[in-house]
Amino acid sequence: MCDIIWCKKEVNGKPCDTINYLDPYYFWNWEGTINCAECGTVYYIHMIQGFMYRGPEERDGEKPDTSPIYADKPYDGYSSYRPGVNGRTRPFQCTPRKELLGVADMVKFSIRGRPVRGWRPQPPSAGLAGSHGFKWDIAKLSPEVWEEYQKKLAAGEVKDW
Amino acid sequence: MAQDPRVTRMEELPGPKSKGEMEEFKMPYEEYCKKLFDIGKEHTKPRPLKGIRWLSCTMYIFTPHAVANLAELGAEVIKLEIPRMGEPMRHTSPFNEVYLYPFSDMRPTTGTGLGYTNANPNKYFITIDYHIPEMREVFYSLVKKSDGMTELYRPGTLDKWKMSYRYLSEINPRFIYVWGGGFGYGPKIFGGSYDILGQAHAGLASITGMHEFMGGHCSKCTNWVIDWQSGNLISCAIMAAIHHRRKTGLGTMIEFSQVQVPTRMLGHTTTMYGKFGIVRQRWGNWDTQLAVHGIILCGKSDFPDAENPQDKYDARYVMVSAFQDRDFKELCDITGLKELYEKYKAHKDRVEGEAQVEIYGALERWAADKSRSEVAKFLTDAGLLAEPVRNDREVYESPHYRERGTVRWMEDPLFGDVLVHGGYSTGLMEKTPRRINWHWRPLGADNKKIYRDLLGFPLSKIEEWYKKAYI
Amino acid sequence: MPEKRDIEINSRADTIGLMDLDVRPYPVTPPPSYEEVKSTYERRKALEFCDWAEDNLRFEKRYEKDETLTGLTVLDIGLWRLGHKFCASLFGEAGAEVVSIEPPAGDPLRKLTPFGREEYFLQNKESGEKCGMEFVNETVNTYCVTLDVETAEGREIYKKMAANVDVLIDGMPPGYMDDLGIGYRQLKELNPRMVYVWMGMMGQWGPWKDKQSKFGQWMMEPFASAANSWIHNTGLAQDLLPRGKGGDPTRPAIWLADYVAGAQGFLNALAALYWRDEQGGTGQMIEVSGAEALLDILDFDITWYGFNSSIKSRTGGWDACLNQYAWNPCKDGYMMIGGQTDKLWYNIGFCLERDDPQFGRLIHEDPLLKEMAARNALHALIKTYTLTARWLRDTNRVEAETKLLEYQVAAGPVLYIDEVCEFPHFKYRPWVYVHETDYGPLLIASSPASYQLRAPFRCKWMGRDIGYDNYEIYLRWTGMTQSAVTAMKQKGVI
Repeated sequence: MCDIIWCKKEVNGKPCDTINYLDPYYFWNWEGTINCAECGTVYYIHMIQGFMYRGPEERDGEKPDTSPIYADKPYDGYSSYRPGVNGRTRPFQCTPRKELLGVADMVKFSIRGRPVRGWRPQPPSAGLAGSHGFKWDIAKLSPEVWEEYQKKLAAGEVKDW
Repeated sequence: MAQDPRVTRMEELPGPKSKGEMEEFKMPYEEYCKKLFDIGKEHTKPRPLKGIRWLSCTMYIFTPHAVANLAELGAEVIKLEIPRMGEPMRHTSPFNEVYLYPFSDMRPTTGTGLGYTNANPNKYFITIDYHIPEMREVFYSLVKKSDGMTELYRPGTLDKWKMSYRYLSEINPRFIYVWGGGFGYGPKIFGGSYDILGQAHAGLASITGMHEFMGGHCSKCTNWVIDWQSGNLISCAIMAAIHHRRKTGLGTMIEFSQVQVPTRMLGHTTTMYGKFGIVRQRWGNWDTQLAVHGIILCGKSDFPDAENPQDKYDARYVMVSAFQDRDFKELCDITGLKELYEKYKAHKDRVEGEAQVEIYGALERWAADKSRSEVAKFLTDAGLLAEPVRNDREVYESPHYRERGTVRWMEDPLFGDVLVHGGYSTGLMEKTPRRINWHWRPLGADNKKIYRDLLGFPLSKIEEWYKKAYI
Repeated sequence: MPEKRDIEINSRADTIGLMDLDVRPYPVTPPPSYEEVKSTYERRKALEFCDWAEDNLRFEKRYEKDETLTGLTVLDIGLWRLGHKFCASLFGEAGAEVVSIEPPAGDPLRKLTPFGREEYFLQNKESGEKCGMEFVNETVNTYCVTLDVETAEGREIYKKMAANVDVLIDGMPPGYMDDLGIGYRQLKELNPRMVYVWMGMMGQWGPWKDKQSKFGQWMMEPFASAANSWIHNTGLAQDLLPRGKGGDPTRPAIWLADYVAGAQGFLNALAALYWRDEQGGTGQMIEVSGAEALLDILDFDITWYGFNSSIKSRTGGWDACLNQYAWNPCKDGYMMIGGQTDKLWYNIGFCLERDDPQFGRLIHEDPLLKEMAARNALHALIKTYTLTARWLRDTNRVEAETKLLEYQVAAGPVLYIDEVCEFPHFKYRPWVYVHETDYGPLLIASSPASYQLRAPFRCKWMGRDIGYDNYEIYLRWTGMTQSAVTAMKQKGVI
């Protein structure tokens, strides 16, 4: 075996078939028990320089020392457990915000409340051969955002910093 | 006319020559500096590189930044990109989350990722496909009107298309041609390169990070330091070449490899290996030549209840510096570590490896029940040097960077409200300040401006090129 | 074969000299020959161009070519830090006449040596004077003079020197020179065409300006990188390694802000000179702080905060913006692999798949990983790098590089300095070479701007004894005779 644990435990007559990823830095030299993100089976592993020196061995009834940080199921359309699913995957605290999206964040206003063109789709606005001028005619191109901005202004939600 | 010796003439006295100057001399120095740079009025002052036109056939960070420096200093820069696709950095964004739109009308759901930031301000953006012979002729007419260009293609690529220095110098002998890449002539000439490869290959990575005995691994500077700094050094070489051209009237070719840049910045590392056979190792957050001069971990976060994990968990580190004897004595006195001072009175003793382990260990134990700001305040109140290790939010909120105009909001002409942290204060200049006009522009946004307004091609021609994806 | 010697080693000091360049010549293995490299050029059908490049750009031809900044005079004053020194060295490498002023006792930087070990001082072959390696490496082509500007005579001499220079680099604390009456606002009267570059950590003004301790100790790197989130962003996450044991924010090992500020100082000064000379401008003041020079190259981080309140977190050997673009542990160290576009990204996979068919099964077939941008999500990084490291675990750096280069993937090992110095490409250029200095032959890194057709940067000498150039410079720059200089020396002014 290696630094994934492909869990083959039979659950409800079917193999669990979940892949638990053992990320390289955390587990490069590591000994202890870890749960399968899907079925909760606890495995003992001992890794030395990235090698699975012992394990994975099932340890029924033991509390796991840690959890994988990510797991997915290739036979289930790669459905996955992302970091920090309670009781299944290890949290990942060192992130830029509390919740990461992993997809484009649709942003219409900067943190001080002024319009910023961070959402899609944008209406066509280019001239010849993709040319643009030096003005974003927001009132014409995105009237709904312009209106929202006016309301923000009136409500005093637009700040200098 | 003979002067009346009884009349005092101000202009003949040493010192200030007018009332204004007199006041200037009386001003406290800080105020004087502030007045000198006059933050916020950058655009009313002249541009140092006015009249220089540069072609930016660049991608990623390294070569674009080399030209961005010139653009911030007032040169007119034209960036040439692949039609439809643009350069890869437009498709790069942290954790795939942050894009500005539009990228181009042809791809309404694509944005330009924040990875494009800071390497491309003030440029004009056109598209061009060099594979088309007709477009190469257009390129030549740009070369005739420009002072130089920066490119990053694999060596020999532009030569094949007759766009290398040896061809362009015949069209424009004053042309300064810069190739920026990984390796240059030699056995690995065709090796691709990135910032991270430079960090890895040239020795910087091997000494950055926690030592093995601390449990650490080699760490990358998460910011693309070698791309950026190599870009800076190319800009330096370009400026030197421009000065040389003033004397000789001749352009030149510069071959600049980023992979060697980290080695140049390793200080004594190479020499120490050559002379003493010693291979420098990682030394974490401490300093190999100064002690105490390092970062310590405090027991408590400054913002335990903050929502953002970076505030909540990581506001725990303080840079502490007390390497001179008296500073070190004071540090030991006030933290109750007097015996350490007695043991390591001489700097050469306390900077030894084992001593550092002992001293920083003791300091971290002392800080185990304190927060970051408590530690920093305690030490600075005692007249020592200590500063928190700050994060992006704290940089944004810093009164220092606001007052100096380093971090400022900008109304970008096309993208709206954008926060800027590069350009302006990268060297404050009293009379010819650097400046940012726009963050970047959509793909091909200046096709009409350059192809028609500068080169004079008819609009129908430009449209035809665009339809054929030549531009 | 060198002769065998009997050696007794009782302390570290006894090892000094056992590894010097005369005992173990550099390089240990010879660099690749042109013939070997030629076959590489031919394989890509670029021989003619590559030969042209070698003929015109070669490092070995640097001395026979012109210098760019001849005729320019630069005065540099400062202590401790590398910023003003790196800046002055760039001027020196480009051919300007650069004079560095130190106090009569010398710059304390001369006394710095790794772990305080005096046996690593370099010794001047002629005079016997000792100097730290860092000082020698960062003092390139500059004349070294001594002057105590805290004395009235010293200030007079300083004014005479400053009156005729094109560039003055001030690496002293904010307001220090001004308090002495020899700062920018006083000197610009004497020399209105002078470009004055102040260089420090945080700035001369503003709430966080450069500070000193109550005992006068200066702020030095990494204070600048701590103040702009550079350190906060660097290092391994506490989720991957325990905090306090490697999972912490990490400083760069070198005094990074100094080098970046030094380059920006040089660049801005040359732009100011261009404006002065080409556009009829005057001199001016420039202020470069390490913290802000680094902020300029802090990727997009603060912009990102303004967009949606993200505070960049550290990602160790990985990168939040690119997949693949990371180093991970391998059999004998760390291996960097990079390839972001579909073509390169799949090429990596095809290479790894040869040894590990499951890699393709789990990575290439995952719909989440099919789109370039989507691969940058955190969980996508974790998945990709876990399986990549599984391949690396069985592969050493050379094998990995060889295999990946076959697929035209940018790949390179993390090299330690001994490996850097022996890396074939480094030796061929050469990027590291033996330079004969006053301290004997030293292995040094070449200037990256040395590879130019007309006027390459170059190192001629490095390091100098304290006040080595006093007599020459004071004579040429101020007209002081030998006896006048000697008299000043005796008074402690020089």
